[in-house]
Amino acid sequence: MPIVTFLPGFRKVEVSSSDSLMTAAQKAGLSINAVCGGVGKCGKCVMFHKSGRIRFDADRFKEFFTQEERDAGAILSCESYPEDDCQIMVPERTLIQNQQILMNVVGQAVEFNPSIRKYYVQVKPPTLEMPASDLYRLLDAIFHAGGPNSKQVYVPLEILRRIPSILRDSGWRVTATIARLPAGYRMIEIEKGDTSTRLYGVAVDLGTTTIVAFLRDLTTGQVIGVGSSYNKQISCGEDILSRVNYSKRKGLSRLQDLAVESINNAITMAANNAGVDRDDICEVVVAGNTIMTHMLLAIDPSYMIEEPYVPVVRRSLTASAGRIGLSIKPEGGIFLFPAVSDFIGGDIVADIVASGMAESPEISLMIDIGTNFEVVLGNNEWMFACAGAAGPALEGGEVLFGMRANPGAIEKVSIDSATLDLKYQTINGKKPVGICGSGLIDVLAELLRACVIDRTGRINTTLGHPRIREGEYFPEFVLAWKDETGIGKDIVVTENDIKNLIMSKASTLAACIILMNQAGITREDIKTLYFAGGFGNYINKDNAITVGLIPEVPVDRIINLGNGAAEGANIALINRKKRKFLDEIASLMGYIELNAEPTFMDEYTRGTFLPHTDLTLFPMVEKSLELCRLRVEGK
Amino acid sequence: MALKALDIYKLLPKKNCKECGDPTCLTFAMKLAQGKVEPDLCPYLDEEAKNILGASTRPPIQKVTVGMGTLSFTVGEEFVFYRHEKTFYHQPGIMYSVSDTESDDRIREVVSQVRGCRLTRIGIDLVLNGLAVYAESRSPERFAAAITVVTQDNPDLPLVLMASDPAVMEAGLAICGNYLPLIRGVNDQNCEAFCTLAKKYGAPLVVSGNDPEQLAANASRCTGLGITQLMLDLSGTEGEFIRASTLVRQAALARSVPGLGYPVFLDVRSSGFSGLITGITKFASVIVTRPLTRTEMQAALVMRQNIYTDPQKPIQMTPGLYRVGSPGRDDPVFLTVNFSLTYFTLQGYLESTRRSCWLLIVDTEGMSVLTAVAAGKLSESVVKDAIEKSGLASEVNHKTIIIPGYASPLSGRIEEYTGWKVIVGPRDAAEIASFIEEELK
Amino acid sequence: MTISYSPGWTASIREVVIGATAAEGGTRRISYRIGGESDLPCIGSGRKPLIAFEICDDPALWPDVIRSACTKLVDNPPAWAAYVDTTLQADLIRLNLTSTRRRNFDAYDAVSKTVIAVLQATSLPLIIEGSADADIDSEVFQRCGEAGEKEKLVLGTAEAARYRSVAAAAIAYGHSVIAQSPIDVNLAKQLNILLREAGVPDDRILIDPYTGALGYGFEYTYSTMERIRFAALKGDGDLAMPMICAPSDTLTIKEVRAAVHSHETAVSWEVATAVAAALAGATILVVRHPGSLAPLRTAIDSLWKEEVA
Ligand code: SF4
Ligand code: FES
Repeated sequence: MPIVTFLPGFRKVEVSSSDSLMTAAQKAGLSINAVCGGVGKCGKCVMFHKSGRIRFDADRFKEFFTQEERDAGAILSCESYPEDDCQIMVPERTLIQNQQILMNVVGQAVEFNPSIRKYYVQVKPPTLEMPASDLYRLLDAIFHAGGPNSKQVYVPLEILRRIPSILRDSGWRVTATIARLPAGYRMIEIEKGDTSTRLYGVAVDLGTTTIVAFLRDLTTGQVIGVGSSYNKQISCGEDILSRVNYSKRKGLSRLQDLAVESINNAITMAANNAGVDRDDICEVVVAGNTIMTHMLLAIDPSYMIEEPYVPVVRRSLTASAGRIGLSIKPEGGIFLFPAVSDFIGGDIVADIVASGMAESPEISLMIDIGTNFEVVLGNNEWMFACAGAAGPALEGGEVLFGMRANPGAIEKVSIDSATLDLKYQTINGKKPVGICGSGLIDVLAELLRACVIDRTGRINTTLGHPRIREGEYFPEFVLAWKDETGIGKDIVVTENDIKNLIMSKASTLAACIILMNQAGITREDIKTLYFAGGFGNYINKDNAITVGLIPEVPVDRIINLGNGAAEGANIALINRKKRKFLDEIASLMGYIELNAEPTFMDEYTRGTFLPHTDLTLFPMVEKSLELCRLRVEGK
Repeated sequence: MALKALDIYKLLPKKNCKECGDPTCLTFAMKLAQGKVEPDLCPYLDEEAKNILGASTRPPIQKVTVGMGTLSFTVGEEFVFYRHEKTFYHQPGIMYSVSDTESDDRIREVVSQVRGCRLTRIGIDLVLNGLAVYAESRSPERFAAAITVVTQDNPDLPLVLMASDPAVMEAGLAICGNYLPLIRGVNDQNCEAFCTLAKKYGAPLVVSGNDPEQLAANASRCTGLGITQLMLDLSGTEGEFIRASTLVRQAALARSVPGLGYPVFLDVRSSGFSGLITGITKFASVIVTRPLTRTEMQAALVMRQNIYTDPQKPIQMTPGLYRVGSPGRDDPVFLTVNFSLTYFTLQGYLESTRRSCWLLIVDTEGMSVLTAVAAGKLSESVVKDAIEKSGLASEVNHKTIIIPGYASPLSGRIEEYTGWKVIVGPRDAAEIASFIEEELK
Repeated sequence: MTISYSPGWTASIREVVIGATAAEGGTRRISYRIGGESDLPCIGSGRKPLIAFEICDDPALWPDVIRSACTKLVDNPPAWAAYVDTTLQADLIRLNLTSTRRRNFDAYDAVSKTVIAVLQATSLPLIIEGSADADIDSEVFQRCGEAGEKEKLVLGTAEAARYRSVAAAAIAYGHSVIAQSPIDVNLAKQLNILLREAGVPDDRILIDPYTGALGYGFEYTYSTMERIRFAALKGDGDLAMPMICAPSDTLTIKEVRAAVHSHETAVSWEVATAVAAALAGATILVVRHPGSLAPLRTAIDSLWKEEVA
């Protein structure tokens, strides 16, 4: 069997020659950016063939590589196979390991009231005079230690079996772990001696791409470790729809396994960081979107992607960790956030809790943007939500040089409107290899200010500047010249990229405006605008408003929630009372189905303009663009 | 003025008791705002809320039915001034006129024109609605005889009886009154007599007046006499009609003048075809016209269909595989959505290229390409479905489809999911000719 | 009790001047000031819509029914224009430079010649419909604009994807621009903003909402026009331009093409569409069939009150 060596790290792996090089790389422990799931469509799994014999269909690669690149040995690793021992170079952009994962949390003050407690008790030994059962005496001791009434505590058989020996072996000194359930209490562990300080819980943000786990000491409420992992389901398709389709073809179990594995990885990382034994972790709270939640529990999600788009379950759920395969204490519990609809999932409910918008009388607008967007508007009395497809442009998809927020991605851009000189900043300061969502928004705003594009995003090709040129299919604007980049060719943004971006931002803005119309409020009524999710952290708020991605509100009213899903999960982890509130939020929300919303198309079309067809909705932007235009025309 | 969901919510009891059939008061309010439910589904509304909500859902224009049986038609119950605000619900009845002084043969001929006219477009039959007989003879006997000529073979053809002499009208009604013809001819002198007749037969009545004030007063007088099936006569020159009907519709929608909340009657025998078109577009509910030429009649019926389609429910094509010209197994396959306008536009441009090809129409619930992509109605699975259901693979020798330019974001997924190669076509159908010339040669 | 009509309008349609008489520096026998309405069509004291008759310099792609109705005139634009002026008595002539739609078109001199010849053959104000291809637009519109300098032509058509050439020619030679968007009030508004930002004054823009053929989307045009008029009267200055509408598109549909009585059908459908378009707010109605002119004129005269000067 051929041995494949991956450069630059010289990782070796022996594989069969029917394994693709991508599979080989994965076996070698590399995380490959297989956006299309390894079927030769996305062109992201590029590697360079250095030596040895490999097999591929060169014709298939034509659309992905220039001749130059082909000459350098560029291949799609998912469609190339080792014939013999070979050496393969893996460029950095093909790896996903360094993508920025959100780990910061706003950190609200939350009352500490966990659902799991430990009770260290001294149980009275039985006597002939007091021949009460072991269990009775144990529960009695717990009750006297401030625990629940013994009648309310359910003790599963597995624990019961261990009680007599543990009691006696420990000299009647034991620590019992008791979890509060919706309908009572459950004893989930009994240990010898005093372990009462070793009680941990984990809050998990289960994202489509990334997973973050926060390990907390449940006796103090402190965060003591953080771990993260990629969602390994990516190998079954990058976006959630293709994963559901995958499950339809090949069943759910692999997706469930991968989700569990990814969560376990994150938990392990957090536990290792904190030096905690995973067996002392008694509870995991998970906030994820509706489909992820379904998949984690191996509940069929496929009815959510076809009409009439119904989830199997919306309410919050609990299960034991052992049944799902989480590597914590097997009797430990898992709590899953409730969902509002197919698209407004537990992650959004968590965002809402994290923002506190459901507890304030002031009106807030919360926006979570990714490939899909979710928007929530409301206050403590009412709440409307809607969701839709933003298209992949804001995450770098459908954009010629678009990429995720990986190292080398251009993430910030400024353009001098007089000279069109351009400054950019890349993630990790590497040579640019592409541009990510926040960079694209900057480009859009800056090109608009410099009057290089008009309000529909068309490039004015009559300006006569070397950065503006006719591309192969569309006019384009050069962001970085060949010799500055890490890919050996000019990085450009094309008119078509801009179109796709505008289409993406138009649907997000339309959703915001539809919610505002539904509630009969104006942008001035919005006291706080929350950005949830990764996008908000990197985006330039001014530019987001300038291009009309979001309604115009004073910039100081915009708050980045950061990873609101994780924050929400943390809150629910340390305060069990909030869990009831979650179901309330979810069930009382007015969900607007954009598909069925008659004004959607109109609002969408209005949004396909920079910033918006109705310029009066963006008075400040208008003023500043007016100045820009005067300056450009005056020069 | 339509209330916002939140305004309505504030009027609701906020019990979230689910008795209205909705999970929460808020979702109920959202449906109320869209007019999808009636407020009385909530048993806990207070009086104030009932008043406010009731008024916004009760039709401001009375519903009136002309005729009886399968050919009868209903007008009124309109809610808006502009069709784009929601839709116009009940298209006007178009009635051909005959005079009772015309020969029986001529009358039969007009009847058969009315009955024989049928135009089918997009699966919908467009028809004329009935006949208007006017008593030019002023003779009860002749009027009755003329009506008998009509009703002999077509007792259920909706009629308008036009006479101002109560005796003449009564003679006519004696023949066909039970079929609820529309009675036109009321004036200041004969009002009581006409109301008695209308009441006797339960037939709808057209009231008139020299100006809107008088019209409203006369209508109120009739309602006072117990007649509620009323229509307002706004006949006049085209200009006069439009000014009057604009005012009447506005007053009716504002519910400001009770006597004007009725559908509008229009006689265009003197203004002819353009009067008919004016009536169709500007709020007339029954239009009496002299018999038109076949081409005028068709144009008018199509105009009526156009104006009265629901702008929020675009006319849909049946999804499936269509031929443009006589395509062979190697000819290209264009994919588009089942929004009729998109289909017709594309088909028109394809035809003009004189290149035979296949047109695969996928079901996007009548949404245009752009909307369907934005709303997720055009997706790889929809395309796959269409390819399979249409049996496309057995019709052509290749596996390539051309998708609309606005669907380009889906190209990769469609290829992946269907196994068909995708070529992205132009965004604008007008560019199809050059696309074919350049890309498909 | 008097029942009054209180629409609550706050603004009016902007006025646009088309054509220039000798006194105004041109050679037309009449010029029109269109727009200015402050209410819905036919209500109040608005001006009557104008009827433009459409001719072209290359009728190959035009419907048979027009070629047969206009007989040999179709090969002679100046003669055709003269006929429209004196015999049909249209208010305006729209010259469609269909020759520019041919592949590899480069007969720019012919464009100038045709425009000049038509301007000499008629003294009515002229609308000129130029090329529809960004690659040749600049040259074509430059020629049209130059040939008609001082005549206050209307140049068409600017679209969102290609408006700079038309705009440049209009700005340079003092003409107005037709801004066409695909049956959508918002896109119409967007294009007007684009044109303004490209330097075209607001009072030199006409909106063409794009006319769907009767039975094939005309209802969308109708509603779009109503929405434009509504927005304009409510104060949206970006939509307060007079509208031009071309019911002549109705002549290309199947029902008309395949009709037995093709001329009669063409006229009925064209007139029906034109009347409805006028009622929705069109200020210029473009027709192609000679038979449509008289009935349309009668209808307009009966719909609109005598014009208040
Ligand atoms: S019945 Fe009334 S109170 Fe009960 S949920 Fe419905 S709207 Fe609310
Ligand atoms: S091309 Fe997508 S993984 Fe290889």
